Amino acid sequence: MLPANLLSCEFRGLAAIPRFLGEADRPWVRTLIDECERFSGRPVRELEARLRDPSPGAPDDKRRLVAYLLLGMARSRVESPVPPREARAALFTASGRSPADARDAVIARCAGELGVSPAALLGSLFADLPSERIAMAPPSLDPGEVVLRANLALAQGLLARAHSVTIALEGNARAVARHATLRGLICSTTRSAGDDLASIELSGPFALFRRTLLYGRALGAIVPVLAWTRRFKLQATCDIRGRRTVVTLATGDPIFPSSEPRRFDSRLEERFARDFARLAPDWVIVREPEAIDAGGHLFFPDFAVHPRFDPSRRWFVEIVGFWTPEYLANKLDRLRRARVSNLVLCIDEERNLGDRDVPATAALVRYRRRVDAAKVLDVVAMTKAT
Amino acid sequence: MRSARSRPGAALALPSGVRLLFDRGTILLRDAPEGVDLSDLPGVLWDPRVRALRAPARHHPAICDELTRRAVRFADEVYRTTDDVGPWAEPPLRPYQDSAHWAWQEARRRGVVVLPTGSGKTRLAIAAMARARRPALALVPTRVLLAQWVREISSAFGGPVGCLGDGERRIEAITVATFESGWRQMDQLGNRFELVIVDEAHHFGSGARDEVLELCAAPARLGLTATPPSGPAADRIAELIGPTVFELSVGDLTGRYLAPFQLVTLNLDLDPKERDAWVRTVAVYRPALRAFMREAPGATWLDFAKAAVRTEEGRRALAAFRESRALLAFPSAKRAAVRSLLARHAGARILVFTSDNATAYAVSREHLLMPITCDISRGERAAALDRFRRGELRALVSARVLNEGIDVPDADVAIIVGGTQGEREHVQRIGRLLRPQEGKTAVVYELVMRGTSEVAQARRRREGLAPRQPALL
Repeated sequence: MLPANLLSCEFRGLAAIPRFLGEADRPWVRTLIDECERFSGRPVRELEARLRDPSPGAPDDKRRLVAYLLLGMARSRVESPVPPREARAALFTASGRSPADARDAVIARCAGELGVSPAALLGSLFADLPSERIAMAPPSLDPGEVVLRANLALAQGLLARAHSVTIALEGNARAVARHATLRGLICSTTRSAGDDLASIELSGPFALFRRTLLYGRALGAIVPVLAWTRRFKLQATCDIRGRRTVVTLATGDPIFPSSEPRRFDSRLEERFARDFARLAPDWVIVREPEAIDAGGHLFFPDFAVHPRFDPSRRWFVEIVGFWTPEYLANKLDRLRRARVSNLVLCIDEERNLGDRDVPATAALVRYRRRVDAAKVLDVVAMTKAT
Repeated sequence: MRSARSRPGAALALPSGVRLLFDRGTILLRDAPEGVDLSDLPGVLWDPRVRALRAPARHHPAICDELTRRAVRFADEVYRTTDDVGPWAEPPLRPYQDSAHWAWQEARRRGVVVLPTGSGKTRLAIAAMARARRPALALVPTRVLLAQWVREISSAFGGPVGCLGDGERRIEAITVATFESGWRQMDQLGNRFELVIVDEAHHFGSGARDEVLELCAAPARLGLTATPPSGPAADRIAELIGPTVFELSVGDLTGRYLAPFQLVTLNLDLDPKERDAWVRTVAVYRPALRAFMREAPGATWLDFAKAAVRTEEGRRALAAFRESRALLAFPSAKRAAVRSLLARHAGARILVFTSDNATAYAVSREHLLMPITCDISRGERAAALDRFRRGELRALVSARVLNEGIDVPDADVAIIVGGTQGEREHVQRIGRLLRPQEGKTAVVYELVMRGTSEVAQARRRREGLAPRQPALL
């Protein structure tokens, strides 16, 4: 996570506006990348010193951010005639054996035993320290990508200091909500006007009492996933340098996207889909169907199933692979109130939820390690869905 | 130890009672009966997101007490019932360790024990775990200490010892975790342990670290430190761990349990060239610092540094300050003093302490002494400590790593080339020398540059060594 002194933003009233890098910054970013290449073969500390120096055309705060990022990506290797650890063991033990001897005599004797020159021995002594390692040419970096990555780091650094986050988005709400839940956040999704518009509120369980860095990191992790929505606008209440501010991010902000969110949460789901299809060839199984609206809150079932020739007997299946008693209680409560009855919940047996928590309208399949497709089929095939 | 099994209200989990659940570092109160107001329970707030009452996990014991007092029926599902944890071979305690345990026990197993380095704090912790026989977590500041605690607990505990941090993730009924790893996972682990031991507890009281103790439900908490903080940090520690329940200083234990020591201050001078350079750097940063202090009386150095990074002039001042520190770190007079002290104590085991790693390496290169720093791998450090123990290495040089907790074999001479962490660091460093031995008197040399800020620094850091409770032993 980005240290506080690298969070470059402007304060305007209550808002903190991130100072994102843009087109205009590419030339000096290019220069810094070139410097990383030029310094390959030299000790890392020299590269660090170079990146600390002012660079023409580069605003100081942005340059420090990019330097931080480039040093984080830099690779290095140890170059020494004698492995440093061996050199230390040999030389310091030799000096311990004969404390009265002159320094140069000890070095010469020890170097002789190792078959290297005294200078080579001294050069090896600390060649593995992070600052003494030899910088290697970085993988070819595109200034455009570095700019986007710097902006991502900045946005995540700001959100890591957030209490709560509200996101209005269009498309792919499922991926965002799921990602948040997997990171241990409390996520409540409501449908706005229109089919595909949703509003997601995210906060850590602790947000009620005060901001914690633990959940701040989780909030920051949401940023790159947002690139996979069609449109979004994120608003976060953050504490930046002792001020309570509002940070806004939106579609079009130059932020590096995450890799595409995985279609399946887990191998568990993948295996269930395969088992079910094999077991019930006369049933259709649809992965990630549309969301269910339960009293204004959206649910994202993992599967929809129906007999091939009777689409009206449609059931939703949700595998609750990662949950806490509270998460589940809350979810069941909402389903109960919304009278959603054609949903099969598959619940990890190890948590052994008491029966009284299961709404009478929902079917429940317990599992351990592997969801039994036959049990799910029993429920959906035996019961007439409404 | 209090547990779900023994708690009166928890005996019957009737549907009509309140259910207490652990949810990612918090306690949720579900199914509160109609007409019973629980919103004034300790730490509890209404959480509209889930339509339930919620409190930080650390309030769990207080909530249970209060529910019991009000005779509200409740089912405590925070802890899973577990069998007693054992077997233990409880280590014998010295009288003062036993008194410390008693004092902690009397304080309802919540409190901080202040004992000097080398007086056996780990042993006290092991005794507390052994007597409690409940799942326990020991939080330690560094990876070096992680390995050491696992080893020491294993020698007293018959079961497997869990280890969280330094690339390992084994959770057992008795587990040791670094602060960092504990923090990352406490939202999942906060209801697994009923006793939490906090080693070097002075690291808590401000900052993100405190979260680990907020997110954890453990009713019993034991903090250990040689150097308790004061002010707001002390209040916060009292809230998160407990008040200081027992306190002894180096002076209290010297003689019988700790070796006596002599403190020798060597006042040295910068050579003319060094002094010129030093005066130049001071001339840059001091006016900026003074101007800031006039504007913000009572501000700390940290406040100044935070403000300074924002302006060009401020950054120049900070750079000058760093340069002046570097000039004092290992000037020629200190080099000469280290050389003659090493020669004078040719047969002794010596620890050299520096203000920073760069100086540690400089001392290492110049005097051919093994450095113990965070850059040296765990394996190599362990091997070096071993060779020091066997007498094959005569000295070790370190900036920070040797300060805290890590078991350093008997040394009798310390050379303090520099230090910036004040009283706390000083007490810890000297503690490294005080393992008692027949007829041993340790010697501590402090190298101080005359006419510089080091003089006041040295004066301040000596304050932590005075006896606190002369009447007790």
